[in-house]
Amino acid sequence: MPTITIDGKSVEVEKGTTLLAAAQKLGVYIPRYCYHPKLSVSGNCRMCLVEVEKAPKLVTACSTEAAEGMIVRTASDKVKAARRDVLEYLLINHPLDCPICDQAGECGLQDYYMEYSLARSRFKMADKARRQKRRAVGPHLVLDNERCILCTRCVRFCSEVTRTSELEVMERADHSYIDLKEGKALDNGYSLNIADNCPVGAFTSRDFRFKQRVWFLKKTPTVCLGCATGCLMEAHHNENTIYRLMPSPNAETNTWLCDHGRLTYKAVRAGDRLTKGVIKNGLIDLEPALREAGARIDEARGAVAVLGSPWLSVEDNAALARLAKDSVKTENYCFDFASEPGIKDGILINKDPAPNTSGTGLVKTAHGGLSLEELSRRIAAGQIKVVLAEARAAGLLKDTLKAAAPLLVIFAANKGEIPAGTYATLPYASYFETPGTFVNYQGLRRRTAPPVEAPEGVKPLWAVVNKLAAYSGASLQLDSAEDALKGIVFK
Amino acid sequence: MAFKLTEEFKTRAEKICAKYPRRDAALIPLLQEIQKETGYVAEEAMDALALLLELPYSRVKAVVTFYTMFNREPTGKYHLQVCRNISCHMAGAEGLLALLRAKLGLAEGGTTKDGLFTLSSVECLGACGSAPVMQVNDKYFEKLDEAKLSALLEDMRHGRLQH
Repeated sequence: MPTITIDGKSVEVEKGTTLLAAAQKLGVYIPRYCYHPKLSVSGNCRMCLVEVEKAPKLVTACSTEAAEGMIVRTASDKVKAARRDVLEYLLINHPLDCPICDQAGECGLQDYYMEYSLARSRFKMADKARRQKRRAVGPHLVLDNERCILCTRCVRFCSEVTRTSELEVMERADHSYIDLKEGKALDNGYSLNIADNCPVGAFTSRDFRFKQRVWFLKKTPTVCLGCATGCLMEAHHNENTIYRLMPSPNAETNTWLCDHGRLTYKAVRAGDRLTKGVIKNGLIDLEPALREAGARIDEARGAVAVLGSPWLSVEDNAALARLAKDSVKTENYCFDFASEPGIKDGILINKDPAPNTSGTGLVKTAHGGLSLEELSRRIAAGQIKVVLAEARAAGLLKDTLKAAAPLLVIFAANKGEIPAGTYATLPYASYFETPGTFVNYQGLRRRTAPPVEAPEGVKPLWAVVNKLAAYSGASLQLDSAEDALKGIVFK
Repeated sequence: MAFKLTEEFKTRAEKICAKYPRRDAALIPLLQEIQKETGYVAEEAMDALALLLELPYSRVKAVVTFYTMFNREPTGKYHLQVCRNISCHMAGAEGLLALLRAKLGLAEGGTTKDGLFTLSSVECLGACGSAPVMQVNDKYFEKLDEAKLSALLEDMRHGRLQH
């Protein structure tokens, strides 16, 4: 284990540790463009040059391994001059796009220029080399070759992470530019990570483009509910609107975030978002909708089935279980969802598309209930008159429900989710609007944090269930989501 | 035009691949083979080669565009490549290029209508000792001056140049 000295502080590091990683351990920040902790080392941007005593030249901190007794300086005059020169070099042909560039505010060039350079350009605006300006490459990205500094993070991401190798550096020397096969789209399911990885504004997200200046965005750490992997992410929002989802790298699940997961926030402000109840096809206020649904459930009682959902939080599933057991007092309820979890593509996307299959298991352990097959059999046998279910979970019994045609009371956040033939639909707050506990495929307990508020009149599902209970049977008196969790044991 | 690698080429390619520890190492030799056969490396040839070597297309394209010696368009019968680096420049390459431009009525990168000549300026040909130098297809012509060049051009026009 070599011991090295960086800026007068000594540190012992594992063999093979780079100077950049060692400095990071000491809290010394070394600027970088091409280096990314999860990609191979390229060493082409030269921004991380540091001085090593007795070395004839400055060395790149990202690619130099620490050796016993090295004395490293990251803030000497020589290093400062090198950083200024590298920045001047990178900026010679960089267009002055900042006022119209989406990257402004989180741009490596802007940040480092302010930190390490502040020099005036010695080149005339008119002499700048021109490159191809913005063009869409694939469904999620825009590429502006003129802004590119050729750090090749995007090239390495495509060849090392997604292994699709769409991107390459074409031509050579001062003609080089990033490109892909003509007519081919950059659409590998993870393409938006390229926009994050790009340290400048060359790759930007088509979805986020021109929607919001990044310095207005507030950041709320939350969990992705796109599948059972349960990636940690940050919702970036302003004035009650979410603008984008970004990964929060962590050791347990994810460094990146898939394109599908990133766009899950769209449903929150979608045109078909439900803010009122629906009876048959007519919109109606929540209260009368609840009364109607409650009355139908009350009539049927023992012939009511309540189906939990792996798309709902543990709290909301627990509230549904309480409704079945303590209010409606039916034995026909089910929190039994089998899945075969595991990473499907070797990166992030899970075989199980539902985020909370493990969480419904906890509810089943606490409250019991039928197996999904048994419930399905009872519905098919005509023993069930009313089915209360979340829309996507009802989809699991699609054929049975269609054949037996019981009265369907559905919880749905968007109109598009409502199954055909539904009698009553009750809206609920999405997990971007209310907190919820989810258990991912590894058994990790994760809680969503709401970045935005629910539309007026839309309540969390447990609260809707609480009100429904008053109309359909004995009152549950749930005052908070935690009340519903009584009896549930987390591992 | 759909480009297909011939069976004969594929057999030859396998032999070339066998010389290297990894198949993709044969990329440049195979590109040279293609250029030798057809005079240039077509977009379709890059596709076919990528399939043959199990490489991403973008990798093949990156290599072809990196090396300026790979022609991406058909060239004339004679590809005139005048060195423009420092030794040749000082020995009068600039004048030779101007002469060729005027005589052939071409800009650099252009091909004459009769398909006889393509004119290019290239980086150092590694023959500084006998500057100025011009490469015609695979052959070097050294210590050129305007008179020699004009005579050479005439020879080529009348098919008297051996190559």
